[in-house]
Amino acid sequence: MTAPQSSQALRWFAAAIVLANGFFPALWILATSFKNEVELTAKPITWWPENPVLTNYIAAFKDQPLPVYLMNSAIVALLSMALSLFVATLAAYAIARLRLKHRQLILTTIIAVSMFPLVTLMVPLFEIMRGLDLLNSYWALVFPYTVLNLPVCTLVLVSFFQEIPRDLENAAMIDGCTRLGALWRVVVPLAAPGVFTAGTLAFVNAWDEFLLSLSMNSAVAYRTLPVGIQMYQGEYAFPWPTISAALVIGLVPVVIVILLFQERVVSGLTAGGLKG
Amino acid sequence: MSTRSLRDRMLDPSDRALALLLLSPAIVLILAIVAWPVAKLLANSVMDVRLSQGVPVRFVGLENYAAALADGMFWRAVRNTMIIVVVTVPGALVVGLALALLANMPFRSRGPIRLALLLPWAMPLAFVGLIFAWFFHSEYGIVNDVIRRLGYTPQIWFNSPALTLAAICIATIWKTSSFMALILLAGLQTIPNSLYEAAEVDGASKWTQFREITLPLLVPSMLVALIFRTLTAIQSFDIPFSMPGPGEETQTLAMYIQQQAVDYLDLGYGSAVAVFMFLLSMATTWVYLRYIRGDER
Repeated sequence: MTAPQSSQALRWFAAAIVLANGFFPALWILATSFKNEVELTAKPITWWPENPVLTNYIAAFKDQPLPVYLMNSAIVALLSMALSLFVATLAAYAIARLRLKHRQLILTTIIAVSMFPLVTLMVPLFEIMRGLDLLNSYWALVFPYTVLNLPVCTLVLVSFFQEIPRDLENAAMIDGCTRLGALWRVVVPLAAPGVFTAGTLAFVNAWDEFLLSLSMNSAVAYRTLPVGIQMYQGEYAFPWPTISAALVIGLVPVVIVILLFQERVVSGLTAGGLKG
Repeated sequence: MSTRSLRDRMLDPSDRALALLLLSPAIVLILAIVAWPVAKLLANSVMDVRLSQGVPVRFVGLENYAAALADGMFWRAVRNTMIIVVVTVPGALVVGLALALLANMPFRSRGPIRLALLLPWAMPLAFVGLIFAWFFHSEYGIVNDVIRRLGYTPQIWFNSPALTLAAICIATIWKTSSFMALILLAGLQTIPNSLYEAAEVDGASKWTQFREITLPLLVPSMLVALIFRTLTAIQSFDIPFSMPGPGEETQTLAMYIQQQAVDYLDLGYGSAVAVFMFLLSMATTWVYLRYIRGDER
């Protein structure tokens, strides 16, 4: 419906709706995070803080160990991203390039894993991690997140590997490279866009995960951000401006990632028709 | 080096061994994190495993399943989950389709539009739950502010299970419709413009073009997106957890499982309920796949 006669006004209207829908909640939290007590409780609501204050940000760092949560989230997300990229690269190369019996079965298994309800895995994983004394550790999250992201990463990488002409690989092998040497020196660098796509999806999925994190890592020292941010609420009070400030800080990494990799993410999401 | 020896290397019988070697880390991880836990889940579901009580683990057959079927809290959780599925899956599809059609207009720069669709997708569900809980705050929330300005009575949203579920559904639709829109937008962009031009020549109205060209050609992208949306809706946890209603009235199936297994350490019962959820997911996938195959025939 890309009708060329669609008027300028209609286009502005469409853009306004899409932009407002996408950005309003984040902007509203941003506005709330700068409001002082008076403006917060003003009726009718003030849209933008007239006397912006930074006290909520100070409180966000004082009331909860926000840097610890951020650090934990970053460690878990980056470790699981690196691990899923490594494992998925090997698997995707085998699927895309090597003579393989049951190729279809392997792909079906991978897709089946991606449809598996995480909640049902949580119960036995909790017991296993408890038995291994791994509750409250990075590994209790890194391994499950790696598997969680394996299907997405593998499917994205398979489609990118298949695009790379075999001749380039063969040329490298004529020059004396082994197959694995050709994989690391030729195929992976050429598939760099695919690696970035898969990596971004893996990072965002791990950064956002809540249920496993809540169940496995209840200790403050290993708590990740989505769980930690729920801890600002006291027994009776819900300090919304402080929570807003913490949410804004927690959103910064997400915004940076989608700003940097927006085209990669869109192509990755739509290529595989994967879950979100 | 001759071509022959190169071909030998390319078709090396050790290729198959190499393939297995390359696949082995993935296989080991899937066995450890999916297959083994699933076996454990099934085993636990027919056992009495209460870690907090110090009672010895024993085989109880289908007692946990029978207990679930007779448990009002289980059925309440099923009902809440089904409400979320039935409201948010079509809701996300309709809103997502509207966003996709709007975003598909010929804008001069696509960057901001793309970011507006990506931000809800990338935002953690737990954040979305908190943000919408603030929107629906009874005193200072923006929703009640708008209601007051329009001259209606503001609601205490989180005092009523029905209103809490409504707020949860709105938050869920907002969070998930953008992903739907991205998938549908990609589908829209594969529809050749010539189809619309031909329809234009034939004098078809915009609405007819939408019904006869756009919708049918979007069905494949919709089905893929709908399968995943339905499966994730069945597992709803983060948003309902962050937007609690009165008591445990708005508990979902996933929240009930987590409470039983992690908070009460009743792994036997929690596993049985989890098996029910697993069956529900399988049934959903089966229905969709049947529909897709029926469609191709």
